[in-house]
Amino acid sequence: MTVDRSSQRSSGTSANPSGTVKGDRPVIAVLADQWEPKSEEGWATRQVAGALACSADVHVITPQGIVPSQRVDSVFTLHETATPSSPTAAVRRELLIEAISDTGWSATGRLLPEYGRLLDRDLLDCWSASSDILAGLRPDIVVIAGHQHLGALDAVDRVAPDVPIVLLALGSDLNSLAFPHFDRIFDRSQAVLAITETERLAIVEHHGGADRVHRIGAPLAANPSALNEPNTWVGTTDYVFVISSTKTHANEEAVALARLIRLRFPENPVGISATDAFSVWHQGRVGEGWPVERSSDLTRLMAWARVVIDLRPGPLFGRRCVDSLLYGTPIIVPGNSRAREHAELGRGGLWFDTPGELAWCVEAMLDPEVRATFSAQGKAYAEDAFGSTDGYIERVLVATGKACSDVGEIGMGGQIVIPGVGGIGAGGATSLPITA
Amino acid sequence: MGQPGLDPKEFLERLKQEHQVLRWEPLPPNQFNPSSGGEQSRSGSSLDYLHKHWALPGSFNPEDAGGGPKGRLVGLFGRLTYRVLGRYLHEERDLLSHVVRISEALERRCDALTLRVQEMNLDIVRRQVAEAENQALLAAWLHAESPRTTGGVASISSTIAQRNMAAAAAEAAAAAKEDSDRSR
Repeated sequence: MTVDRSSQRSSGTSANPSGTVKGDRPVIAVLADQWEPKSEEGWATRQVAGALACSADVHVITPQGIVPSQRVDSVFTLHETATPSSPTAAVRRELLIEAISDTGWSATGRLLPEYGRLLDRDLLDCWSASSDILAGLRPDIVVIAGHQHLGALDAVDRVAPDVPIVLLALGSDLNSLAFPHFDRIFDRSQAVLAITETERLAIVEHHGGADRVHRIGAPLAANPSALNEPNTWVGTTDYVFVISSTKTHANEEAVALARLIRLRFPENPVGISATDAFSVWHQGRVGEGWPVERSSDLTRLMAWARVVIDLRPGPLFGRRCVDSLLYGTPIIVPGNSRAREHAELGRGGLWFDTPGELAWCVEAMLDPEVRATFSAQGKAYAEDAFGSTDGYIERVLVATGKACSDVGEIGMGGQIVIPGVGGIGAGGATSLPITA
Repeated sequence: MGQPGLDPKEFLERLKQEHQVLRWEPLPPNQFNPSSGGEQSRSGSSLDYLHKHWALPGSFNPEDAGGGPKGRLVGLFGRLTYRVLGRYLHEERDLLSHVVRISEALERRCDALTLRVQEMNLDIVRRQVAEAENQALLAAWLHAESPRTTGGVASISSTIAQRNMAAAAAEAAAAAKEDSDRSR
């Protein structure tokens, strides 16, 4: 059976930013729990939506909002259903996943129905209102941001059970990625987008389908102005920059590790960026100031540092670490963090499992030759894997296009078109047919 | 890149291998030079002078005027001067007496503080010695194989003592051998 969605849409009530029907561009619905760029997950969702918006009308549907509304947000049409889930429900789900995974249960692959209901409690109904919007939009593709949102999957299947789904996995937590409770969303998706290689491999290991799981990376670029003038809060250069991402005096491991570094290397200026203050230690003396709030200050501090030690890198792909590598500053990260991939595969730095190893890594990185080598390797990796926005758009569109070509029965008559990327001039374009 | 690449995994392995050997020892305590007492602020001669000379004359001595009409004129002027300035001179005398007392008190306080600083210095050095000893014990404990009990620590202490004794005996034997070689 072939479903011609473009003809249905042109004769129906298609909604787009201008309120008019655009038969020549496919419509893509992005179902996102959060539509804010504050977290790495939210930022990554926006980047994927932005890449898709190059060739399609992108409608973002989110349970956020105070009253149900539809408005234009940049190049997107944002539909807020105003049915947000309880924050405690998401926390309960995370805790339950962690607890069950720790018991070693996941090896058996069986989950008691009670646990399944508890996992989904208060997290399914928030997507109910999305079905009506999807029914009105009749999208050619649906992108679900987050592999845990089974409610979003149900909302799609209620009204469009045959529409191709692209899953942006957002697998910050490997336990959650491996959790069989979420198998059906992976099974239903024609393509799965992963940000890092670690995430991609984890998905392939637990859900198979290596040919439909695509590593898309992220679009990041070094701002050259950060290299024009150093931020002199710590010193002109040759300082160790520690990002603790916690309060200065919190009773947490990151604080203890930051303390270890400044005690161990008293002759070397050490800048410690906490959430409530920025402190500079040198020869046993401390200077405290306001926390680093502007991203430009942070990037300048990273760009001129000898090494960046991110004690709590972002959970999805460690964005700050990639930024640091783009500026040629090597990184040192916890061995159990997602950012280890940049140090290990990207050869842009080192990682540690114990405080002793952390001290050795810093000591090694203070050697100018070692530092220079890691700097060059890391910069080359970051520029290759993350530095090109055109390359990112191409990866997203290719993955999405493949998803739709795999379905083979959507006769929408449209195409996802990649405008001038990868060396193709403005006049040229790479067309990726999404019809069979 | 113009320089050989570094594989972080191999590099980390090498780092760990290198750090298998303990290259740590406690810092020796600071050299302590006990004060000879000359650091105290007691400058006896100046203070003695102050004590002897703080009392300025309270009236005009006629003998200072000399004889003759000129002497009588100077005597008259002197008495008049002391009469007019008498109150001021008494006040000044009181002031000087207080200044001398304060100087005496300050000197005593300075001496006390100097002694206190010396005591504190000594305390700090003693503490450093104790810390260094404790660190050495910890280093030995960390270096040894899982001495996890107090008994283990005690045994480490005795091991250190035995090692020190053995080293001293070896040194003594070497010195004796050297002496015997010389005598031959």
